[in-house]
Amino acid sequence: MNDAKSIQIILARQLASCIATPVLLVDAQNSLIYYNEPAEAIFNQRFDETGEMPASEWTSRFTAVDDDRNPIPPADRPMGRVLAECAPVSRTMWMRVSGGDWRHLNVTAFPLVGEKGQLFGAMSIFWAI
Amino acid sequence: MNVTLWGTRGSLATPGAETARYGGNTSCVGVIGRDGTVLVLDAGTGIRGLGKTIAPTVRRVDILLTHLHMDHIQGLGFFAPLFRADLEVHIWGPVSSHISLRERLMRYLSPPLFPVSLRELPCMITLHEVPCGEVAIGEFRVSSALVCHPGPTVGYRVADARGAVLTYLPDHEPALGSTEFPSLPLAWTSGGGLAAGADLLIHDSQYSAAEYLSHVGWGHSSFKDALAFATLSGAKHLVPFHHDPSHTDIDIDRLMKDAMAEITPACRVTTALEGATFQI
Repeated sequence: MNDAKSIQIILARQLASCIATPVLLVDAQNSLIYYNEPAEAIFNQRFDETGEMPASEWTSRFTAVDDDRNPIPPADRPMGRVLAECAPVSRTMWMRVSGGDWRHLNVTAFPLVGEKGQLFGAMSIFWAI
Repeated sequence: MNVTLWGTRGSLATPGAETARYGGNTSCVGVIGRDGTVLVLDAGTGIRGLGKTIAPTVRRVDILLTHLHMDHIQGLGFFAPLFRADLEVHIWGPVSSHISLRERLMRYLSPPLFPVSLRELPCMITLHEVPCGEVAIGEFRVSSALVCHPGPTVGYRVADARGAVLTYLPDHEPALGSTEFPSLPLAWTSGGGLAAGADLLIHDSQYSAAEYLSHVGWGHSSFKDALAFATLSGAKHLVPFHHDPSHTDIDIDRLMKDAMAEITPACRVTTALEGATFQI
């Protein structure tokens, strides 16, 4: 079975599904493989409806700007940087999905690194400011 | 392949009249290939009996450890073939972030816990850290993956040249974090990739459903969850394994009966009995 997820990713999803903080989970290719129910409010869509999405698709659903209202391209957002740098990233930003309200958030992303340094993906939490 | 259960008990060896039928030795399964390849799955106390059956003509034995809890390694020092200088022994075990497999094994195989240290054993030992992708061992293709159990723990999938598959998940809690198991597809279930379509699935079934509720996170499954996991994975034959040391033979019969009354498995089920042999 080639699509079997690693235990690190499975446990990350189980944790995300049990907490009230909005969480996104991406794989090592930055495909969005899960977001929890609290994050559905930010996404304005249910995970059951969207399913997994490649990076090009899910990142284009958000508009993100910094505190001075300068656009933040996907590669500079925490989830983009965390995989490129393989290090935790945290920043504040304004975000909205198409037709939604702007939300002022602190976004913290951290890599999921397994034994022997293998990168499995990353988790991102969203904290309303 | 020929699969023999040499130890079916979990956690602690449990000899005595009340456990004589299902057996008191801890986890150990012997796998013999058609060409004579010898695999030993875990080195619980059951490995002592297996050791007596290894013919002097055998030149290589591979011991596949799922993890290093005592009930899975305690028999290692009593595996007689380790004291044969002409034998090549490959020990496979889970990788850890900080301490090598050799160092972790030596914590047990050295004084004061054991009189003979690993480096003093006469056989030719090679250690391998897993998971490391699919490897060929004799006629078998063996793959491993980390699974849900405290500390680095793997399960194994052993396939022979004809495509028969044995999956070994003796210590496994795929239900952890699920309010109702199984609630996710197999790809999102711990051990799913290893167990998919297995001809024989040897799986943890330490608890009753009620006992599991007070042992969540301990890394083991109930009989009921083992049945559900087997159904989800499409296994053809489930062997509930790793019996709790507090369970007598009568208890195990009752737990199995209760679980089967609650969930109808889609496959054949044979509760693990020490000495049982399966041909797949």
